[in-house]
Amino acid sequence: MAAAAPVSLAEQRRAELGRLLRKKYKYLDRTWDAVFWITAIFIVGAAADITKLLFAGDWDFWTDWKDPEWWPMVTAFAVVIIPSALQYIQWTAWRFPTGATYTSVCLFACTWIGRYFQWHVAEYYPLNFIWPISTVGAGIFMDWILLKTGSYIITSLVGAPIFGITVWAFNYIPLAPFLQPVQFMNHIVTVADVQGIAYIRSQTPEYLRHIERGTLRSFLGEAQYVSLAFGSTLAIAGYWVGQFIGRYLSVWPIGKYIKNY
Amino acid sequence: MSVAKRQTVPEYSSGTTAEYGYGPTDWLGGWRSLFYGCAILIAINVFLELWNYAFMFSAGLDSASEAFTLHYRTLFWGELLSVGAFTGLWYGWLVRTGREIRDREQGKVEPREEFRRMAVFWCIIGITSLSLYIEASFWPNWDGAWHQTMVRDTALTPTHIPMFYFWFPLSAVLVLGNYLYGRFRLPRVYAKEKGFPWSFTLLLGASIFECFQVAMNEWGHSLWIAEEFFATPFHWPFVWYGWLAGGMFALWGETIIAMYGIEKDIEEAEQASQTAPTAATELRG
Repeated sequence: MAAAAPVSLAEQRRAELGRLLRKKYKYLDRTWDAVFWITAIFIVGAAADITKLLFAGDWDFWTDWKDPEWWPMVTAFAVVIIPSALQYIQWTAWRFPTGATYTSVCLFACTWIGRYFQWHVAEYYPLNFIWPISTVGAGIFMDWILLKTGSYIITSLVGAPIFGITVWAFNYIPLAPFLQPVQFMNHIVTVADVQGIAYIRSQTPEYLRHIERGTLRSFLGEAQYVSLAFGSTLAIAGYWVGQFIGRYLSVWPIGKYIKNY
Repeated sequence: MSVAKRQTVPEYSSGTTAEYGYGPTDWLGGWRSLFYGCAILIAINVFLELWNYAFMFSAGLDSASEAFTLHYRTLFWGELLSVGAFTGLWYGWLVRTGREIRDREQGKVEPREEFRRMAVFWCIIGITSLSLYIEASFWPNWDGAWHQTMVRDTALTPTHIPMFYFWFPLSAVLVLGNYLYGRFRLPRVYAKEKGFPWSFTLLLGASIFECFQVAMNEWGHSLWIAEEFFATPFHWPFVWYGWLAGGMFALWGETIIAMYGIEKDIEEAEQASQTAPTAATELRG
C-alpha cells in the first residue's frame, strides 16, 4: 500500500487560513466590514483632499494653472502621500493591493463634490475651467506594482515615479484641448489663458501665480520632461511620507497606551 | 443583519436595542446610531450650504454692514452656542450614565451588550469620519473658491464661519465624546487603568493643533497676505490634521482585536458549558 503523500507546509498554512476564513463567529459578521469600508471613505477622501489642496491645490483648481513646470512636480508629490499610507494599511491588514486605488476613488468623489457644489454651483465657474485631476489610473498601476513585488521599497522606487508620471499622462488628455493656441487681443495665448482672463479672480492676482516661472522655460520643449523627472523623484519622497503616516500614525498606535499622563 | 432576524424575546434588557428586538449588529440595532448621526450632520450641512447660497453674495461681502451682522455674526454665535450646548449635554450624559454602568458592571460586560457597544463606538467613529470629510474637504473647497475670488475684510468670512467655528470644533467634540463612550462602556479596551490610548492622543492632538493653526491662519492672512494662495507655506500645518486622523485606523484596529477576544471568550464559555455536565455525570458515576 502506497504511503500518503506528505502535506507541505504551504498547504498546511493554506488549510489553516481557509479554516480561519470560514470560521463562524457569533457577532462578527459582514456588517462590520461594510461599516468599516464605507465610513473610511470619508476620512480617506478628506485626508487625501486636504493634502492635495494645501500642497498643490492651486495648480489643480484652474485649467490655466496646469502648466508644464510646476503642476507635474507639486502634484506628483502631493497626491502620492495618502495612497501610500493606505497601501501600507490595506496590505498589512488583509494583503489587499488596493490602497492606492481605494484612496484615488475616495479622492475623486470628494474632489468632484467640492468642484461641483462649491466652485460651479456656488461661484458660477464653468466645470471645464475648474475640473480636478483623477489619480485612479495611476493608483491601479501603483497597486499592481505592490502586488507583483510585495515590497514597499521597490514600490517606492518604481511605483511612485510611475504614479507621478501617469497622473500627468492621464490628466494631460483632458488638458490638451485647453492648451491649443488662440489669438486674443493681439497676443498668442492658450484657450486656458483666455479662461483665466475671462473669469475674474480678484484674490488670485498675477503676482501670486506660480506657473512657468524662472529659467526652466529656456529649456523650451524640454521643460515638461525636466519637471516630470523631478516630480517623479519627489513622488518617491512623498511615498515615504505616506508610509510614515500608515506605519506610525495609523498602525503603530494600535493597543498602545500612555501610562503616566 | 436584516430586519428579518428580529427576535421576539430580548436576551438583554437594560435600555438597549435588545429591548426593541434587534441584535447588536442589526442595521436597526447596534448600527442605527450611524444612520441617525450621519443624517443629522448632513441636514446641518445642507442648511449651512443653503444659507451661504442665499446670503453669501448679498450679505457676506461687507463685514461692516448690518446685513452681515444679521446673517453671519448671528450664524457665528449660533454655531458656537449650539456646539457648546451639544457638548455639555452629550458629555454630561456620557459621563453620568457611564459612571453608573461602570460601577454596576465592575468591568464584566455581557458579550452581547459589549458587541452592541462596539457597534455604537464604530458608529461614532463613522460619524466623526463624515464630520472630518465635511471640514477637511467639503468646506475647504468652498473656502478656496470664495477667497481666491472675493476680497476679504474680516476673519469671519462666509466660508470660515461654518468651517472653522462649527465643523472644526464639532469634530474635536466628537473625538473626545468617542473616547468618553469607550472609557466607561468598553473597559476591555479603554478602561482608565490601561492608560490613555495613543490612538485618541493623535486624534485629540490633531484637534488641538488645528485650533492653533486656525489662529495662525487668520494672523497670517491679516499680517502677510489678504489674498488666497492655497499652497502657501503657512497653510501647510493644516495637513497635519488629515495625517493625524490616521489614528482613526488605530481605533478600528484595537477594537477589532478586542472583538476577537470577546468571540474567544464566548467560544471558551460554550465549550465549558458543554463539558461541565459530562464531568458532573462522570463524578456521579
